[in-house]
Amino acid sequence: MTTHPSADQSSWATTPERGSLPLLRFMTWCSLKFGRKATRIALHPITAYFLLSSPESRLSSRSYLERALGRQVRWTDLYRHFFCFASTIHDRAYLINRRFDPFEFEIHGEHLLEQGVGLFMMGAHLGSFEAISAVGKQNAGLRVAMLMHEANARKINEALLSINPQSDQEIIGLGNLDAMLKVEARLKDGYAVGVLADRTPGNETRLPVEILGRTAMLPTGPFRMAALLKRPVIFMTGLYLGGNRYAIHFDRLADFSAVQPDERDQAIKDAISRYAGLLDRYCKRAPYNWFNFFDFWQDPQE
Amino acid sequence: MQDNQNSALQKEVAQLMVECLNLEITADQISPDAPLYGDGLGLDSIDILEISLTLSKRYGLQLRSDGADNQQIFGSLRSLCTHIAAHRTL
Repeated sequence: MTTHPSADQSSWATTPERGSLPLLRFMTWCSLKFGRKATRIALHPITAYFLLSSPESRLSSRSYLERALGRQVRWTDLYRHFFCFASTIHDRAYLINRRFDPFEFEIHGEHLLEQGVGLFMMGAHLGSFEAISAVGKQNAGLRVAMLMHEANARKINEALLSINPQSDQEIIGLGNLDAMLKVEARLKDGYAVGVLADRTPGNETRLPVEILGRTAMLPTGPFRMAALLKRPVIFMTGLYLGGNRYAIHFDRLADFSAVQPDERDQAIKDAISRYAGLLDRYCKRAPYNWFNFFDFWQDPQE
Repeated sequence: MQDNQNSALQKEVAQLMVECLNLEITADQISPDAPLYGDGLGLDSIDILEISLTLSKRYGLQLRSDGADNQQIFGSLRSLCTHIAAHRTL
């Protein structure tokens, strides 16, 4: 397997989240109290503020959109991109509190989840994870545990509890050495284990892939884990289509259940390039849903 | 006698680790008392998973996610081997 010393992709992990928990609680309260239509108006000044005050995010948004849209990028495109991000964050207040009625969901590939065995669901920072999770909850059989890096796990747990003190979303932090044994136990119980497989904060092995016509480096870790545990892998994304509409997509990504040890490296490579292909496809289909506001396509450092 | 057995097991386990993780060091370069996870040998949790799967197959033992001792078991090659010696069925 090709090993690349990884470039420093940790800038996103160390950038402190803007905002704070009391503010989050207040905004959630307003959203629930005054309803989605009324509070959505506030998203415009918020979007404008972040657009004007974050030159680096603006820059990476522009260079991403140029490739996803295949044309010159205008200010209105940048605004749409930032507004789409703000909308999905706003909608979390409802989705995490199980208020699904303001929304229309179209669901594709749901039958892939009905295998009744533990599997991996690999997503990306593309669209809304909460929208996927809402579909999973309505489809009562699906239990999802999210796997993420420890620092994120703590932050997200706090945020979830601020939005809904009864939140029961299980999160497995990667900080412990037995995190993987926990993952294995959950899979045996028939859980789906969710991973956002497009980022790594550490110095992990990564593979070069082609997304939107340029080379990006993707971490091999999530797929190595799925291969070792011999599980099927489903791709997931919850694309925000504007208004109150979301399109949830599940796609077959890989199945490691019968892969022999000597075929493993190749199977992992194949899965990662298929994952990259799916990212490419959905970035083109719903360009404003890409929420990696940093230089994702940084040059691989040798 | 016990010590001899332990050091034979240590050699064997170190060799298994080097092979299953494609480590760029030889088995005898793994210090018996250095931490395996994180700072010492620099393994991540997926490496630990791979080792524990290999070890359970080779020695017929179960490592459990709710086992509070995992931190201690994987503390070093020596402690890992002590655990294997005590719980192996093969």
